[in-house]
Amino acid sequence: MREQVIDAIRAYFKGRGFHEVEVPLLLPTPSTEPFLEVFKTELKDDQGNRWEAFLPSSPEFALKKLLSAGSGSIFTITKSFRNGEGQSSRHNPEFTILEWYHTPGDYMTVAEDFEGLMRFVFKSLNPARSDLAGSSRNSLQGLTLGYQGKKYGLKSPWERIRVVEAFQKYAGIDTETMLDEQKLIGVGKKKGYQVSEQTTWEEIWNQIMANEIEPKLGTKGPTILYDYPITQAALAKKAKDPRFAQRWEVFMAGLELGNCFSELTDPIEQEARCKADLAERKCLGKTEFPMDSDFIEALKMGMPETGGIAVGVDRLVALFADVPDIADTLFFPVGEMFPQEL
Amino acid sequence: MTLIKANQLKTGMFVLYKDQPCAVVKCEFYFPGKGSAFARTKMKNVKTGNVYEYTFKSNDMVESVDIETTELQYLYQDGETFYFMNPRTFDQFEVPGKIFEGKEKYLLSEMKMFFNYYEGEAIGVRFPLKVTVKVSEAQEASAGNTVNAPKKPVIIETGVEVLVPLFVKEGEMIIVDTETGEYVSRA
Repeated sequence: MREQVIDAIRAYFKGRGFHEVEVPLLLPTPSTEPFLEVFKTELKDDQGNRWEAFLPSSPEFALKKLLSAGSGSIFTITKSFRNGEGQSSRHNPEFTILEWYHTPGDYMTVAEDFEGLMRFVFKSLNPARSDLAGSSRNSLQGLTLGYQGKKYGLKSPWERIRVVEAFQKYAGIDTETMLDEQKLIGVGKKKGYQVSEQTTWEEIWNQIMANEIEPKLGTKGPTILYDYPITQAALAKKAKDPRFAQRWEVFMAGLELGNCFSELTDPIEQEARCKADLAERKCLGKTEFPMDSDFIEALKMGMPETGGIAVGVDRLVALFADVPDIADTLFFPVGEMFPQEL
Repeated sequence: MTLIKANQLKTGMFVLYKDQPCAVVKCEFYFPGKGSAFARTKMKNVKTGNVYEYTFKSNDMVESVDIETTELQYLYQDGETFYFMNPRTFDQFEVPGKIFEGKEKYLLSEMKMFFNYYEGEAIGVRFPLKVTVKVSEAQEASAGNTVNAPKKPVIIETGVEVLVPLFVKEGEMIIVDTETGEYVSRA
């Protein structure tokens, strides 16, 4: 199943003029997300020189350097690594990630790509056969995918909802309240979430997302949740309303399948956000590393208008294979190779 | 009772959620990528069996519940109530049938197992995964059905039907998986 899904992904993008590229897995500096812990190692040469080296938490910076160099639309299917997360049914510390960058384009261009990709993979896995009707969990005509006993329609257009609409509809919180630290924490407290002096806007916002909003999304088919508060999108362009960023995530069956931005192309803004991220890493006690100045330099050369997305391939495979745990999609899940001590 | 941080939650722990004692049946930590850490949990109310899903901030405080674990020995059944004995103190305990979740059909006299007690009430049991039972009724395999049905039903001493391979005979001891109700091997 994994092989078939990946073959279909390749075929989809190659059929649409995307170039497949490879990215390095050994880096002098990884990307700066403040909350992701990295794998650190060391590069040595025969002269006894040593360099700090890292495994990437995503291929994003490398791909954007290529975009700035004029690669055109590109995709990669590669490994990425996230450390210190504990094991769960949705994460493996080493995982397969699909990223693609559509240029010229923005986040909504990529939304159409994703709809097309899911349909294409679905059809590749379910070639039209008369015996498919009726008994099968999947229905080709309605583009209905069965997953864990429920049915999900992949037909376009998928449900799209802005973050502020979702907060209003599912949590009864208006835009002003959502964006205001004190007001949101106040509402959170009323709703029964624990609030202390250290509680931040971001914690309550995410907790409301997890408890009240995400469970309502993607119950009949994929839902695209878009225009996140600007603080929740380090690498995205601002939306028309500058309090929001052009970012969406897509949810289905309780899984977050992808995270998409209109990519930030302004090197000055990008440098400022990277520096802020690195400072936050220091506060959080995460591994520190230098900023990727090549990345900023690349943006100065001029990055084209681009929509880009990261998709967890392991989750896609789990979805199409109808298994609840991504470990079931891996030949060598980390939990088996590194068993927990009893 | 002690307060713990949500990042210490583990599957199998007991906590108070909305003032109800709950078993943590699933607990996964996740990081929304651009956000701090959260514990996504599934909890089962040990009294009502209701299941809740809730996401804690990793530094939320959760009240963990002290659960007493006692090993008891099965005595006899009276209607929906099962009677057990503490083999050291000889104290007798009544256990409601529903906590066995259908596995009571494999209870044999003198069988020992661990019970979880909360405020003097039995709320859970670690039923043995496998039991060794005697086959009380078995028919000889007839030659005709060996091709399509390499198994035959027999009745074990607790009165339950189990599918076994054809070579199993009446009076033999067999091992049965209590989760699936399937034959494992001859004892």
